[in-house]
Amino acid sequence: MPHGRDGLKNGAGETISSPDPFEDKILALMPALRRYSRSLARSDTDGEDLLQDCVEKVLARRMQWRGVNLRAWAFTIMTNLYRNGHRHRARHPEVEFDQALDLRAEENNADPLERQRLVHALERLSADNRAVLMLVVIEGYRYQDVADMMEIPIGTVMSRLSRARRQLAEAMKDDNVIALRRPK
Amino acid sequence: MTDEFETVSDAELHAFVDDLLSQSERARVESWLEKHPEKADEVHRWQAQAAALKQYFAPYARSDENDRALISARRTAERTGSRSSAFRLRRLAAVFLIFAAGAAAGVYASDLFAPDSRLAAAASEALPRQAESAFLIYTSEVRHPVEVGAGERDHLATWLGKRLDYALRIPDLSPLGFSLVGGRLIPVNGKAGAMLMYEDGTGGRLTVLLGRNTENRETSFRIASRGDVETFYWIDGEIGYAVTGEVPRDLLQKVADECYRQFENSERS
Repeated sequence: MPHGRDGLKNGAGETISSPDPFEDKILALMPALRRYSRSLARSDTDGEDLLQDCVEKVLARRMQWRGVNLRAWAFTIMTNLYRNGHRHRARHPEVEFDQALDLRAEENNADPLERQRLVHALERLSADNRAVLMLVVIEGYRYQDVADMMEIPIGTVMSRLSRARRQLAEAMKDDNVIALRRPK
Repeated sequence: MTDEFETVSDAELHAFVDDLLSQSERARVESWLEKHPEKADEVHRWQAQAAALKQYFAPYARSDENDRALISARRTAERTGSRSSAFRLRRLAAVFLIFAAGAAAGVYASDLFAPDSRLAAAASEALPRQAESAFLIYTSEVRHPVEVGAGERDHLATWLGKRLDYALRIPDLSPLGFSLVGGRLIPVNGKAGAMLMYEDGTGGRLTVLLGRNTENRETSFRIASRGDVETFYWIDGEIGYAVTGEVPRDLLQKVADECYRQFENSERS
């Protein structure tokens, strides 16, 4: 690939290319990585933190990348970071309701109450179940891909997916609604 | 599967929701669902969930103007050793929370506030808990998970061995797919202990904790679990060992076996 092919245009219309093609590849993955990190995190802030940690780690370990499927490799690293960090947050739960709900809300068309219920339901999932659900539903990975990425048998992928879906459905049942009002 | 036209598995229902079926498989599931309304309800809920999740997270799939700076910041940070203050604060807060939890449990308190370490009596009980805390604190560190990196393996062994008063040989876990990240000095039972960290190819980490034991005795392997974190620990004479990770138990046991074998050799040599 010619150097700088993925370079971005800046405001003046010049092509900015980093001195490093690997960095350009990561840059191209940022939207996907940002979406995945946010789908795992409990707030936008946590999502950006996880994303930054992941980018650091990916760059630090670039020599270990085998040269194929950078996206899946970066997603695996993100998943591991999340599983490590999530546990440690889970021991000190600090639920940021407002943070979890406020940000980017303007870009969502969904019913705010539905969104709120979804956010709270997601918080009940274990890290492993949540990661599998997001890799399949949001990121569109096949079950075998998820098994390879998480180094687990495909049967475990299926059971985690199943558990995540059932727990989410249970948590979002109409009669489980707890209306939480945000202060104005 | 003799009755393939009558039965639809759970896995097929998921694949149906995730649109991973061929046209004919899809049609078969659809006709089965018509005859199984309660399953159809569940499948509809899953579909609605998936749609809601996609809708909710789709706006995040975007570039940010600071992305390039974030990526190239690493090169800059490597030169200057600097890091954003927000990052530092976050780390500090995380460590403080764990520290507070540890202090409440008397783990660090004995070391910091009461050097007579009265609490060391319950030391062998505390070992897996301390190992879990160390694992939780340090494996989530991106930049400074260890004090001395794998590049200075010999120095690490000498330094920690000296503080621990023990001929420490750092186990080689590469046959099991784990390479050394490095190690650090860490209080264990109120005395100087050592933590070694290993990592697999994708960043999955595990830690090995060594601490001086208050009583000279031997135990067999024991297992402690907390959530997804598992710890194999054992005491061999004056040293207590704990191997902690979030990996399948049989793999963790292999790691513990391997550590045991290699530590035993280091004691003899």
